Amino acid sequence: MKAMTMTRNGRPSTLARIAREPGLVLGTILIVFLALVALFPGLFASQSPNAISVPDALQPPSAAHWFGTDDVGRDLYARVVYGARVTLSICAGSLLLSALMGGLLGLISGFFGGWVDQVLGRLIDVMLSFPPIILGVIITGVLGPATHNLILALSIVYLPVFFRIARAGAMSETGQTYVEAARSIGLSEGAILRRHVTRNVTPLILTQYMILFPLILQIQAALGFLGLGVQPPTPDWGAILEGGKDYILFAPWMSIFPGAAVLVTALALMLVGRGLQRRIDRR
Amino acid sequence: MTRHSLKRAFVGALLCGVAAITAPGAFAEDLYGPIPANPTMGGALNMGLLVEPPGLDPFHQAADARIRVTVLMYQGLFYEGGNGEAIPLLAESFEVSEDGLEYTIKLRDGVVFHNGEAMDAEDVAYSYNYIRDPENGSPGAGDFSVIENVEVVDPLTVKFILSAPNASLPMTLGNKYGAVVPAGYFDDPSAKNRMNAESVGTGPFKLVEFNPNSNLLLERNEDYWEEGVPYLDEIDFAFLPNSASMLVALRNNRIDLVKLERPQDVQQVESVEGLEVERWPSLNQKPIDLGAELAPLDDVRVRQAIALAVDKEEIKNASVGDYGEVITTMPAGMADAWGVPTDELSFMSRDVEKAKALLAEAGHPDGFDLTLTTINGYDWMDPAAVTLKEQLAEIGINLNIQRVDLGVWIDNFRGKTMGFTFNDWASQPDPHLLFYRHFHKQPEGADFRNWNNDEASALLDAGRAESDPQKRKEIYADFQKVLAETVPTIMLFSADHVTVKNGKVQNFSQHPTGWYYGLARTYVGE
Amino acid sequence: MASYLAKRLGASILTAFLASILVFMLVRLVPGDVVAQMMGQAGGAEAEASLRAFFGLDQPIYMQYLIWIGNVLQGDLGTSWARGLPVSDMVGKAFMVTLEIGIVTLVVATLVGVPLGVIAAIYEGRPLDTIIQGFNLLGLAAPVFWVGLMLLVGVSSALSWSPPLRFVPPTRSLADNIAILVLPVASLALLQAAAYSQFVRQNVVSAMHQEYVRTAIAKGVPVRLIFFKHILRNVLVPIVTFMGLILIQILGGVVIIESLFALPGLGRLLLNAIETRDYPVVQGALLLVVVAAMVVNLVVDLAYRLIDPRLRTA
Repeated sequence: MKAMTMTRNGRPSTLARIAREPGLVLGTILIVFLALVALFPGLFASQSPNAISVPDALQPPSAAHWFGTDDVGRDLYARVVYGARVTLSICAGSLLLSALMGGLLGLISGFFGGWVDQVLGRLIDVMLSFPPIILGVIITGVLGPATHNLILALSIVYLPVFFRIARAGAMSETGQTYVEAARSIGLSEGAILRRHVTRNVTPLILTQYMILFPLILQIQAALGFLGLGVQPPTPDWGAILEGGKDYILFAPWMSIFPGAAVLVTALALMLVGRGLQRRIDRR
Repeated sequence: MTRHSLKRAFVGALLCGVAAITAPGAFAEDLYGPIPANPTMGGALNMGLLVEPPGLDPFHQAADARIRVTVLMYQGLFYEGGNGEAIPLLAESFEVSEDGLEYTIKLRDGVVFHNGEAMDAEDVAYSYNYIRDPENGSPGAGDFSVIENVEVVDPLTVKFILSAPNASLPMTLGNKYGAVVPAGYFDDPSAKNRMNAESVGTGPFKLVEFNPNSNLLLERNEDYWEEGVPYLDEIDFAFLPNSASMLVALRNNRIDLVKLERPQDVQQVESVEGLEVERWPSLNQKPIDLGAELAPLDDVRVRQAIALAVDKEEIKNASVGDYGEVITTMPAGMADAWGVPTDELSFMSRDVEKAKALLAEAGHPDGFDLTLTTINGYDWMDPAAVTLKEQLAEIGINLNIQRVDLGVWIDNFRGKTMGFTFNDWASQPDPHLLFYRHFHKQPEGADFRNWNNDEASALLDAGRAESDPQKRKEIYADFQKVLAETVPTIMLFSADHVTVKNGKVQNFSQHPTGWYYGLARTYVGE
Repeated sequence: MASYLAKRLGASILTAFLASILVFMLVRLVPGDVVAQMMGQAGGAEAEASLRAFFGLDQPIYMQYLIWIGNVLQGDLGTSWARGLPVSDMVGKAFMVTLEIGIVTLVVATLVGVPLGVIAAIYEGRPLDTIIQGFNLLGLAAPVFWVGLMLLVGVSSALSWSPPLRFVPPTRSLADNIAILVLPVASLALLQAAAYSQFVRQNVVSAMHQEYVRTAIAKGVPVRLIFFKHILRNVLVPIVTFMGLILIQILGGVVIIESLFALPGLGRLLLNAIETRDYPVVQGALLLVVVAAMVVNLVVDLAYRLIDPRLRTA
């Protein structure tokens, strides 16, 4: 945090900075593209992702079906395109939920300290001690099969990470003179907390959000692969992979394309996450 | 019919195979399967299983995956002949009293348990008295409830005393639930668990080891009572978590034999040299069940409308391709013996207009939302569900699909809150055992679908008591007409049993129940 | 040191205890139980009730927990309800399989990842660095189960070979054991080697940018000497910590690979036990996972203190 007070002089031009970060640029372009696909799938795929046509089942990739067709003759390209919205919004939503819940709890824990910190810290330790996929399986089991429950289950996986960042941030701040000063001039703890959050913790959480996004994407795909994804016929990359695995010898395209979609998305997110991390480190 | 560019010759060969197997009498004469002319003794066989048996206890575990393998270790008094006839197994012969309330059963001499003790009437009486008592917690207890007592007459004769005539008794004393075990076996409370470590049956194979998530190893029972069988020294069942690894293993000869859970997996191995695909008729059925507890399914007109909106052929094609048979009110394997001609059954052919009219009459002119429950891991249900969704959309029903795991599904099913769901089940080849528990009103039956139909229940009672085959067939035909008319279930299709083996495996036949009896007649050789 | 250790142990035991309560409650909240599954589409209510009583499922949950934890404290994990085998045997066997996969993966990932990371750091900014970083990114981005699936099918098609189905411990046949593990370990190690390489690169690079290293280079001290004397010592601590992290990650992440490759490990055991509502096995296996993670953490922590003397007195 000390670096924050450093004066920044000799700042290179925007263009030069961009040139130094080709990964960040590439990642950003890819993410913008993926976001467009997720927002406007209809612009990218003309066929319906859910229209079945049993006689056309398991066709290899062709001009009519770029990614081939699945076991009930649905166009896989359309399913992968429309799946972007489902998969990415589930991941984004669950991670947002983790960031909000974990961040809030972490701030409370770090700011108040004492027994609050002890209890919350212990609970987070308990959550951290379970393997994420098993935790996901049990929680989706308890909550029942529905997309919002899947989001809730996924949100618990990385909640501890956000908790720890926010807690560490809050703790490093509580001793700072400006906090003491703020307190002495009668600012409420809530106001201090709020100001502190906006100023210091938010960028850290945002960066962490980007770093964790590809990881949650893979866990979501893994749960989908175990059959715990969204409900059919909703297209979702993990669910398409799950449907494809049993046809792997006969129709490998059912597995190759959705898997590649996960890979490319994760790659783009990692490039951006690393770029952001580097910039934070440099500050 | 020629989906997925199946070679015509290949299909032709398969269909011939089915015809040969269903030929009358193929099973009647031969216990467990045909006796080969020149079998080779010895050798080991590796079989892949996609569904792991949850345990090996024939008394307390109802899962079909358990029955498939325990029939090789444990035996009941009768064998389920594929044509619906109960063939004496540990029994030698039986007589029924005039009033149908006493079955005197003569037992086979010289039968020895896996632990070396000789089997006698005491053991038989103990085993069946144990399973029929609900206090002992057997899922089969309901099927045996008509038995009042089992008495020892002499060391090789027992007498079953019934509370009401039951023409299906011999078939009930088969191999689905229970078996003959040494008298007093369950006195030790840990005995249930011990069945997973050592077998105590009389069957052709003995348990060597059962490693959860890995394999089940059986060895030849040297003291088996049939002369000269079995031929294999060892059967090693490998548990495989998905078809992908199973097909890869099959292709590389890591396993010699599998029964495909999804018959259309054949496409993935048909081009592989040295693998032989066979199809067998089946007793299983894949229905849509309609629980009347879920409004508006309590209205018979709504159920009829759904029956009229369903295109069974299309669902079957999406689910199993050509490897199955659309059915009406009887599984394919029993249709010849017990079925009713389609034109005598109501609501069997698709009629969207009539369905819409029925829905309007029932007060749903614009349709309604309905949730279909499917089971995670039952691969045929996913394509079937999306196909059904499109079909029901035509009469205005908006179908949501909810996929749950088997535990949740069974909980709903047993709790009589199944709602609108796919099911996948089979029974022994006997109409009483097929229908009674599922469809008789409570308390005699379980009536899982809340059908609560008096007429059907009366017919089921009459069918159970009737011993004359012709009259029995008429009673069950009437029952099926009620079933078709009031739609507590819509039977969609029976999927064929499809087995794939390499050149090593000789003389394997697949029993229509899906149980692996055939391994008792299988040998390996080049 | 001793008081630190005692404090750490105390906290770990408390966490394990809380985790056991949580698991106990959670698995019972999943609808359906083992008895319903044993009954299937057959059976009557009476038989069902008597079987439920046999498993003690008719008792209130806190009583079930007290009985279970009492037995656990006496070293008895109970008997699997579905399989009828002792839980300690099942879990122990499965754990050995998973542990072997974990350790072998860790070794492979270290042997591949550390040199790659060091090389990338030495060639910082040059093409070799970019290539290695590209590999790291791909390894991190590819879903493990997807890599596994592709490997399985690719190898099977190209070589007409697939791993043996029945797991054999290395003590019985090393060759068979290797044949079984090669594909699953390869799919797991790809990810972990990439993570390792990226981590090592980052640490070595930042060490090389330290003032004293720059000065030493300026003074003409041979780079090799600087590397082994200063840099390596500085990055050893984070590398050891990272090893622990990775081992924990492998133990938790191996679930899906075990399912894919039909390995009888802890992850597959857990998945199956959750599916069959085999509570004793779920509880026993998860307890072991939690304890194993804690042991690894503790060992890492101690190793950390041994390597870095500054922390010894803390």
